[in-house]
Amino acid sequence: MLEARLQQANLLKKVVDAIKDLVQDCNFDCNDSGIALQAMDNSHVALVSMLLRSDAFEPFRCDRNIALGINLGSLTKVLRAAQSDDILTLKAEDAPDVVNLTFESPSTDRISEYDIKLMDIDQEHLGIPETEYAATITMPAVEFQRICRDLSALSESVSIECAKDGVAFKCTGDIGSGSIQLRSHTDVEKPSNNVEIDLAEPVALTFSLKYLVNFCKASGMSESVKLCLSNEVPLLVEYGLQSNSYLRFYLAPKIGEEE
Amino acid sequence: MARTRSKPAPKAPPPAESTPSTIKALPPSVSNAPKLFVLPKDTSEDTRIVTLDNPATGTPSRYLFCVEKGFYEFTRIVAPRKACKSWLITSEGADVEEKEREKEGLQLGSGYVSKSPDLFIATPVDILFLILPALAPKTAKETKQHFLCLDDHLDTLTSLSPHWKGLLKQFPKLKQRVETRMQAICDTVDAGDETMYRISQEKLLGTLVKKAERMSAGTFPASLEEKFIKSALEVPIMNIKREDSGISEISTTTSIVLEDAATPSTTTESQLSVTTSQDSQTTATTVSSDSEAPSKPALATPPEIPHLLRLRTSFTYLTTTYLPPTLRTHLTALLSVSTSTSIPNFAPLTTHLAALAVLKAEALSLRSISDNISHKRNFEEDEERIAEREEKKRKKDEDEKKKKNESRAVKQLKKVDTSGMKKMSSFFTKAAPKKKA
Repeated sequence: MLEARLQQANLLKKVVDAIKDLVQDCNFDCNDSGIALQAMDNSHVALVSMLLRSDAFEPFRCDRNIALGINLGSLTKVLRAAQSDDILTLKAEDAPDVVNLTFESPSTDRISEYDIKLMDIDQEHLGIPETEYAATITMPAVEFQRICRDLSALSESVSIECAKDGVAFKCTGDIGSGSIQLRSHTDVEKPSNNVEIDLAEPVALTFSLKYLVNFCKASGMSESVKLCLSNEVPLLVEYGLQSNSYLRFYLAPKIGEEE
Repeated sequence: MARTRSKPAPKAPPPAESTPSTIKALPPSVSNAPKLFVLPKDTSEDTRIVTLDNPATGTPSRYLFCVEKGFYEFTRIVAPRKACKSWLITSEGADVEEKEREKEGLQLGSGYVSKSPDLFIATPVDILFLILPALAPKTAKETKQHFLCLDDHLDTLTSLSPHWKGLLKQFPKLKQRVETRMQAICDTVDAGDETMYRISQEKLLGTLVKKAERMSAGTFPASLEEKFIKSALEVPIMNIKREDSGISEISTTTSIVLEDAATPSTTTESQLSVTTSQDSQTTATTVSSDSEAPSKPALATPPEIPHLLRLRTSFTYLTTTYLPPTLRTHLTALLSVSTSTSIPNFAPLTTHLAALAVLKAEALSLRSISDNISHKRNFEEDEERIAEREEKKRKKDEDEKKKKNESRAVKQLKKVDTSGMKKMSSFFTKAAPKKKA
């Protein structure tokens, strides 16, 4: 039996919106520590990993580990019926055929209830080790979104170069080239505007901008985003959510075709 | 985690008496809830539940053991998951004193509500089946077995399920009983003052067939009869009655084709198709003849068939639920070749069922062929191709549907040049399918 009550339906709405273009069907693995999701995109070069800890729910009850195989398109359709400040309750039996979603409007006495049929999804689950990254950049999520959007107009890929003096996003395309340089920056008034660069050794990697733009759909989830890079390993883009939950994207670097 | 954001202040502990709740909480449900059993009456005092290997699966299972009455197995009866059912258990003849106290409110009632609607029923099981694991050959290949004395067999048994040891020690009677049952299914040799045993598959088969005969003496309970006997012996109706003469033309053509294709099947049936096709050819346009067209079954069921099928169903049930897998295959093979008079002959049943299967397949193909498909092709081929085509079409439809539902962003991502990008699985190792925290 799973029963998870989320004070703001908005959280789930945003999570699903952020990943539904990357993955279409995925398993929501529920256990007593929370609800986790791991899925790869169709070409298997990017990976989404989400964890909503049980603390994010009030109350949270999950007696047995269950995997809810859901089509995200269907889930979006149902979540569209929820107001963003509705109280959302997820319910499922121990061996479920359906997942039940209830939206309660806090102001009015309206309660809507939906059942989504579940599917059996055969997904391989990858073990992601805790990695010490060579460079960790924390910046406002909007800023990162803007960089990706602006550069994607010029080119397919961006090279992210981290050095002592800052981080540079560079791209070269048919019409010319562009480069954005960021330095560490502390905003006392608004800490969310901080740019922090934590560097162990210089890194330079190239990534597909289309994928990064896609990851940026999660920008609404958190004020800041953390980029973690190391040579030869996937880039980690992490959006921290409330109560230690997170939404992480991994993207394989482009190797061997730096222009 | 965003390190720039100040950590949220730790939540103040909720004030103790802030929310005086008006709802009285029910006591939490017990994690290890009692289960409901139906146990045999008048069992001896030493009756106990023991863990022994299940003869069919080899997994440890629970059995009830009573010195006087022997072993009982537990059958779990489950309500359908959707049916909201639970048990309310109260003691019927609670002693008067207790009731008095209850009335006065001095004591709570001893009633109990069990959430799970399961019911466990203990039914007697022949000790024979429980000793089989020790007697059965260990592997399917092992055909020659040695004669062993009773104690050796019992040793193997105790090594399989340790509870046997205690039982045998505590109840010397049990050993006798094991021996008598063993004699029923074993070849014996006298060596000095000891008797040696070796399992005899013929004897075991005979015992099982006797058991199966007893099971199938009457008819099965209605639901089982329906599932295993009636539906299996149902004869498909070959000619569909049509009132419209326009359609009856088509049914004429199909029955002609049937006539061509039906040559390998039984004679009664091909005769029937000849007569019907002649019928409808001569009077195809008249409506009356069509409604007269015979709808009687194409194949008569011989009277001994249902009994044979019942017998075989019982036998299959016995072998699958009580026999070790190695013995099961041997015995099933033995059953089909055995010529002994005590063993029923299933040949008429097999031929009848095969004929039925042919009929059913034909009826199915007749139904699935739409009228405009050319009838020149052979039936078997058609069937396969139709299945193939349908499968292909279904896949294509599904893909198309999927494609239509794909959002623009998904399509865009598909176009991304992923050359030079390694797959995720080359960075991260595959974890066990069951997750990390």
